[in-house]
Amino acid sequence: MGLFHKQSDDKRTGDNPLAEATDQQKRFFDDYFREELRNHGRWYFDKVIKENGDLFKKDLEAVIAQVNTDLKEHVSRQLDGAIAHINATLKDHVTRQMDVQFAEYSKTMQEAQDAALKNMTDGSNELRDQYHELSSLLKDNIAEQNAMMHKAFEEHKAQLQSMDEAQSASLTALNQSTEKLQSQYQQIGQMLDTQVTEQRDQIVKAFEDNMARTVEHYILGALGDQYDLKAQLPAIVKQLEDNKQAMVDDITL
Amino acid sequence: MSETSLTYKEFVLPASVVTKRDVSQLVNEAERVDSELTTATVRAHITTGVAVSPVFSGTFSDFLALNKLEFEESKARTALIKQLRLLKDNVPIIHLTFAVSADIESLQKLTAWFRQSVSPQVVLEVGLQPALVAGVYIRTTNHVHDLSLRAALAGKHDLLVKELEGLRSA
Repeated sequence: MGLFHKQSDDKRTGDNPLAEATDQQKRFFDDYFREELRNHGRWYFDKVIKENGDLFKKDLEAVIAQVNTDLKEHVSRQLDGAIAHINATLKDHVTRQMDVQFAEYSKTMQEAQDAALKNMTDGSNELRDQYHELSSLLKDNIAEQNAMMHKAFEEHKAQLQSMDEAQSASLTALNQSTEKLQSQYQQIGQMLDTQVTEQRDQIVKAFEDNMARTVEHYILGALGDQYDLKAQLPAIVKQLEDNKQAMVDDITL
Repeated sequence: MSETSLTYKEFVLPASVVTKRDVSQLVNEAERVDSELTTATVRAHITTGVAVSPVFSGTFSDFLALNKLEFEESKARTALIKQLRLLKDNVPIIHLTFAVSADIESLQKLTAWFRQSVSPQVVLEVGLQPALVAGVYIRTTNHVHDLSLRAALAGKHDLLVKELEGLRSA
């Protein structure tokens, strides 16, 4: 569009070539063409930048990887050295500390052993003394117990003798009681016979009374169902006649 | 009406009147018939018709016949009802308790005996007590008379025991 832009004006400027060339140049390099050139340049610049960025990125990644590897190796070497140094230092320190502690512990143990040995020696002496005291005390107690047992034996002997005497007396009293019981038994037997006889008489008497009631009951039951009022009427009238005067007196009172 | 001059003490009770309940029925019937006759008389005045003669029960008819009473005039009826009420309140009562249920014929015979021998206007109150076995237990106004077989046997209990003892000894 820029090449044919303002073409109608070329016929009017054909007289001056420089002007015409200048004019042609102006027409050729118009704003539109310059914009096209700028866009093209911008596109080309972007392309170059992008390609260089990619290359730079790849190089940078390769460098970073190389640096990482080198750094890792360096750090490993440094750490190994430092750890070896620290180990050696720590080992020396711990060894010294443990030597000191062991020395203190040995000293303390020695002191404790000495104190325990001294206590055991004292306790042994004390036990020996107590043993001697207890032995003498036991001998005294045995002698005292012996005397008490002898005394108790004598007392028991006297008590046994008195018990024998009491047993003889009890036996005599028991024989007398047996004789009394025998006589009481005979008396009770006689009383029992008497009471049995009386009880038998009472039972017979009660039986007779009950028999009388039984006979009465039988008579009442037998007669009660046999007589109606018509059958009883003559006897009732006869009894009424016997009690007539009393009833007349009561009614006319 | 000369019959209305009778007082309740002079009434003769028929044999069918045995208990005080029968006397009460006499009073009730007299009042009922009096009411019917009065009503009939009023109606006869209004309708100029003939008054219907009243219907009496057999007991009431016997009572009227025995005492020769008229029941036509209003004044006579009123006086008779009054005397019957007095009779009901003052009739002498004898309570009889039997060992068996009493039939009406026996009761009428006993009533007749009591009216002939004790008092002419006596009525009975009848009870039942099987424990009496036989005989009668009488209660008058102030006394009791145990004429039952039970009482007779109870009185002879000692005699029975004595006879049993005699039998045992033999």
